[in-house]
Amino acid sequence: MSMTDGPTPLPTAAAAQAAVDREATTAGPGSSTAPGAGRFKSFGSKWNALSRQQQWAFLAIVVVLAYLLPILNPPIITTEPGNNFALACFDMARFALIAVGLNIVVGYAGLLDLGYVAFFAVGSYTAAMLTSPDSPFLHIPYLWTVPVAMAVAMFFGVVLGVPTLRLRGDYLAIVTLGFGEIVRILATIIPAMKGQVGFQNVGHPPGSEAGGTPIFSNSNGVPWYWLTLTIIIIVLLLVGNLERSRVGRAWIAIREDEDAAEIMGVPTFKYKVWAFAIGASVGGLSGALFAGQVGFVNNQRFDVQTSILFLAAVVLGGAGNKVGAIIGGALVSYIPLRFTAIADYKYLIFGVALVLIMIFRSQGLLPARQRLLAYGRQAYSRISGRTGGGATPRTGQVTGQEKEAGA
Amino acid sequence: MTLLELDSISVHYGRIQAIRDMSFSVEEGEIVSLIGANGAGKTTTMKTISGLLNPSSGAIRFLGQDITKMKAHIRVVHGISQAPEGRGIFPGMTVLENLDMGAFGRKDRSGMGADMERVFDLFPRLKERQKQLGGTMSGGEQQMLAIGRALMSNPKLLLLDEPSMGLAPQFIRQIFRIVTEINRQGTTVLLVEQNANQALARADRAFVLETGEITHSGTGKELLANPAIKEAYLGVG
Repeated sequence: MSMTDGPTPLPTAAAAQAAVDREATTAGPGSSTAPGAGRFKSFGSKWNALSRQQQWAFLAIVVVLAYLLPILNPPIITTEPGNNFALACFDMARFALIAVGLNIVVGYAGLLDLGYVAFFAVGSYTAAMLTSPDSPFLHIPYLWTVPVAMAVAMFFGVVLGVPTLRLRGDYLAIVTLGFGEIVRILATIIPAMKGQVGFQNVGHPPGSEAGGTPIFSNSNGVPWYWLTLTIIIIVLLLVGNLERSRVGRAWIAIREDEDAAEIMGVPTFKYKVWAFAIGASVGGLSGALFAGQVGFVNNQRFDVQTSILFLAAVVLGGAGNKVGAIIGGALVSYIPLRFTAIADYKYLIFGVALVLIMIFRSQGLLPARQRLLAYGRQAYSRISGRTGGGATPRTGQVTGQEKEAGA
Repeated sequence: MTLLELDSISVHYGRIQAIRDMSFSVEEGEIVSLIGANGAGKTTTMKTISGLLNPSSGAIRFLGQDITKMKAHIRVVHGISQAPEGRGIFPGMTVLENLDMGAFGRKDRSGMGADMERVFDLFPRLKERQKQLGGTMSGGEQQMLAIGRALMSNPKLLLLDEPSMGLAPQFIRQIFRIVTEINRQGTTVLLVEQNANQALARADRAFVLETGEITHSGTGKELLANPAIKEAYLGVG
């Protein structure tokens, strides 16, 4: 009945209330000062105090800077000379995309998936087996494999989800962990999947430079990064819409209390399968991009540790917050690439970082609450906005919110 | 008219039988109380009616229709709504978001607005606290929210699972007064309680549950006067 039936990373109610109170303060008319809770903590409230235009302008700058990142190659931030910075940017984007996908499953719907790498693997293998000359299957242009990889991963998401999503919490985690291993082991034992030998010369998007070298070559990170970044933006827009929709509300309710959601009229099983399928398709998408960039797929890259790393990215960034997921994903990829001296200890470092995060900031770097409140305003206008004067709130604080809802 | 009918229902958890061959009915407009000690099967009965548990045998009928195999989220649309035991509100959602979730299965917005009004009239405290997170409210307020949220689906039958659990005495009286008011407004109420005194005093009819079976039944007043029940449930020797 309660949230205690799984080790789902959830914001504590008290901490989340603090976020609401901050928002409530800033949403009041004329008050744009965020309480002095530290620059980082009050980012959410500052953000909400900005006008719509200011928010868009700020976003536009962030997007432009993100696109320019590998070209600017800023000192200090750069991963060179240890690692090519453009390729590092692609790797960060790839991780960020995975984290966005896994965040749908873990962050929104609260389903602990320890085998997410399986969907990533399915996507990689789909792209490889449909483009590599080593594969006996039918060959199609690389770009076509992207939607196919998503569809195949989604199919596997449903296949895994339908029998297992009747389980909860720890049991679901164990079964998904097993599924991750099954995919990896199948890749080893099924002859057509070529085990450790793998598939060489996986396809890439069309186009070549003047000299005849393909634009999307393995060593040229910039186009791959731009492609992935563009896909991330598209996925974010779609996920943002989902989040604000009925589906998003259902997911949050399931995460908070599954039985309560069911008796509120939420078809919980259906929505859990949806979360799994959508999350899986994003994982498959990322897998296809990865296969294309690296150009080589074998069974060595899809182990349990990778799954845990994906999960760490989501939890680190803030489960339930898509921007947090992006930051978490990028960080998890960036830190070992930037600090090559400590790269061998990355699991140790992320482990310690996660423990510290759980102690000092259990909601992750960017907590999920902001997103929920956006839904609150909607709920308000949906219900109260239509009922005339009866539901008019009395206190000044709530009046501010009401104006917000009316705007 | 019979709203809800349980016809020799048995429920098992694995091999353990929690409810044996239970039959009772709830008429439209009544308050019916089920009282019993811990482990008597009260919550199991409620979960079976709301659809969270499946009976191993027997049938449940609602307005004459067999709903034994119907999923819980569809029963809500048909008019069965539950305020779960231990309140079961969404702790990370505000009061307003919780109430909005209660209307998840509905399409009629004007009706939703009217029910929101009704909930705020019944529980002015919820109106004052509509921006507060459910998880940060007091036990009594959470119970109000759970009942209010259950009313948001505009149910024909309201299932209340131990609304007095863990509450201070003045809150208990207030909750029961409001339950009576909800009933007067036309919602049938099925109440499960350990607090037998209030539950029997407010009930049109009541049943006593012991180890998965109904052992006594009658009007609330009859059971209040029954010496055996007084001794076992009302703490009077």
